Amino acid sequence: HPSAMAAHGRGQRTLSFTMETVKGDAPPPSVQQPTPVFPVMEQKPLPLTGGEEAEYLLALKQDFRGAMRSLPFSPVLPVSCPDVERYSDKYNRSEQMDKLLDWAPDWKRFPRELRVHVRKPARDSQYTLYSDYTPCNQVMMKKKGVKDKEEVLLKLESLEKKEEQETSEDEEGETKKKQEEEEAEGEEEYDEEEFEEETDYIMSYFDNGEDFGGDSDDNMDEAIY
Amino acid sequence: MTAQEVRLCGLLLQEHFGEVVEKVGTHLLKSGAQNLRTIIHETGLSVDLVKKSLCVLVQHGATTFSSGRKGLGSPTEYHTSCDRILRILRYPRYIYTAKTLYGDTGELIIEELLQRGHTTMSSTVKTVADRLTQNMAEGRTMDYTEVSSTFSKLVETHFLQRCPPLPGVGNKDSSAPIETPATPGTPAAPVNTAPPTPESFPECYKVPSVTLIGRGKRQLASEDGEEQRSAKRAKMDPETHGDEGIYWQVNFERFHLHFRDQTIISAVANKLDQTSSEIVRTMLRMSEVTTSPMATCTKPLSANEIFRSLPPSYNILRPILDQYLTLLVDDPMEFVGKAGESGGGMFVVNLHRALANLARATLESVVQERFGSRSARIFRLLLRKRHLEQKQVEDFAMIPAKEAKDMLYTLLSQNLVQLQEIPKTPDYAPSRTFYLYTVNQLPTARMLLQNCYKTVANLIERRLFETKESKRLLEKSQRIEAILASLQASGAEPEQLTEVEEMITAPEKQQLDTLRLHINKLDSAENQVDETIFLLESYINSTNASS
Repeated sequence: HPSAMAAHGRGQRTLSFTMETVKGDAPPPSVQQPTPVFPVMEQKPLPLTGGEEAEYLLALKQDFRGAMRSLPFSPVLPVSCPDVERYSDKYNRSEQMDKLLDWAPDWKRFPRELRVHVRKPARDSQYTLYSDYTPCNQVMMKKKGVKDKEEVLLKLESLEKKEEQETSEDEEGETKKKQEEEEAEGEEEYDEEEFEEETDYIMSYFDNGEDFGGDSDDNMDEAIY
Repeated sequence: MTAQEVRLCGLLLQEHFGEVVEKVGTHLLKSGAQNLRTIIHETGLSVDLVKKSLCVLVQHGATTFSSGRKGLGSPTEYHTSCDRILRILRYPRYIYTAKTLYGDTGELIIEELLQRGHTTMSSTVKTVADRLTQNMAEGRTMDYTEVSSTFSKLVETHFLQRCPPLPGVGNKDSSAPIETPATPGTPAAPVNTAPPTPESFPECYKVPSVTLIGRGKRQLASEDGEEQRSAKRAKMDPETHGDEGIYWQVNFERFHLHFRDQTIISAVANKLDQTSSEIVRTMLRMSEVTTSPMATCTKPLSANEIFRSLPPSYNILRPILDQYLTLLVDDPMEFVGKAGESGGGMFVVNLHRALANLARATLESVVQERFGSRSARIFRLLLRKRHLEQKQVEDFAMIPAKEAKDMLYTLLSQNLVQLQEIPKTPDYAPSRTFYLYTVNQLPTARMLLQNCYKTVANLIERRLFETKESKRLLEKSQRIEAILASLQASGAEPEQLTEVEEMITAPEKQQLDTLRLHINKLDSAENQVDETIFLLESYINSTNASS
């Protein structure tokens, strides 16, 4: 048998000859097609075990799935230019926004680069949320106030630009941001401003100011060394 | 990780965190550790969505991050592991176990932690107290201290643990000066490549002193959304409880040890009887603290010690205990072994042996249920005799040659049985070669485990399909239920209620009932396949540990 000859000498080789040569009986013919999607079941499967425990586990499973939907852990793709404006759109969107705002993670436990600035719906005033933050952010607030009108104009402009912009540009901005952050950790506030002008990206986002709490901690640590 | 594991992880992520997180998670699983920029580029999602998804994954412990793997200052890399995501499948069992051990409070604590990922003790206690109060009779409330004490108990018994301090974030400043002496040009030795295990920190099981005074609050059923919003905001108010920055997670390994012990106990009860299972239970409980998680067997216990520790309610006399122990040692499943003669006989529970034997029994029953009892006889025969020629199989199994051959070939084609050839001469001439059939338990268990993952993924897929098919109907019934609830709350007339109820026609109702039946069946099946998955995983892990 030529194929048998070719393969010999290796320890882990496959059977390269038919079973006929061994015992005179052929094994089941080798299958060339993929197995059927729903193969015939020769044996009837056993029924599932029932009982109180199984029922409770089932309920827990289904409740858990339901509960996860109401928690703010499912970012959704923005609805890309709906064909027709629907009455329900408004409600669907506002619901999503509310969920996102509910989650205020402790940013100290996440990499710096992940700090997402949650977009505030325009109708909500930006300042109500600042009210309960520490005085160290007040400077920031003031700046925002002054810039408010400018921002609106800039935003309109940026939206126009955005259509022409390529994704690569976005990324460039991203890396630039990262680099700068690493280079000048202490001057975060200054950087932030610069970005607003440079990239148009962060402008429309709400910064909850927690970065600054974290930063001041970091700076303290640095000061020790 | 295999394709089956990735597929199942994707489905689990999708079900619990939505499609966006699923896309990011699956991408990370397939590509290994990556930095943010690459993830954004390769998934084609927006920066914002990727960041948010990564936050969700990190929050739930599915993704870890580390910086400086490729030298100092290289971007943070994200790494996702299948193991953690597959645990989602077992969530109901963790919650149920907490309920059996620590009541409703324990149940809700574990459930909260699983739903919200890493959280602080104070926020968990508050939410749980509120939820418990919600379910209590009017006028009664749950005290925070009561929930706190259950939380502490869960930590004491290691079912909960602190999340390890973050590498790179907390230690970054302290590690920087150490790093500077290294020549900056050469890529520095990988820093923090493997995230430290939670147990490597001394404070892992230390409960911080938390100042939490108050009782659970009942959420008022008000239609005024604004009021609820302000209540929510009030809840988020920065109150300090003294445990800020200390985050907790569920210790799955501890739960798995508990599951393993329970599996062994119930196996003894099924194989022998209730009394022997109580003896094994006592032995396991005695060695819970003294035995390390990866030990192959428990620390030896003398018959005297076991006798003293038996709960008096069992009513087992000393000579009877000795008889039972002898019986257990003689049993072929080898759950209990004898380690010496001193102290009236020293006994151990063979943890890994038990897992191996239970896994083998699982393999046998899979063969039996899928290929019939006579195929199972051949399978068992091969397991016991290791290597057999075809003729020997026919003879020992006492099955006619033609049928035995057929069964062997079927098992061979399903990869449950392997064929080994031993040539008498170096030319591998078939006529001068022995063909020995054999069963390799460990690879077969691995294969079966993959099949289980595939099964669960198929079950989920089917469930999603069924739900999608009747989406409209489900939405309708949900709407009607909502209307009914609001009508009932406003004290509507019974005629009005029946009128609304009748908006779902009889055939629609029937369709809904069958749908619910199917979905329940599929969900239950997922739970039960996971029990097999647990056993096989434990067995495979135990062989890794002992080798």
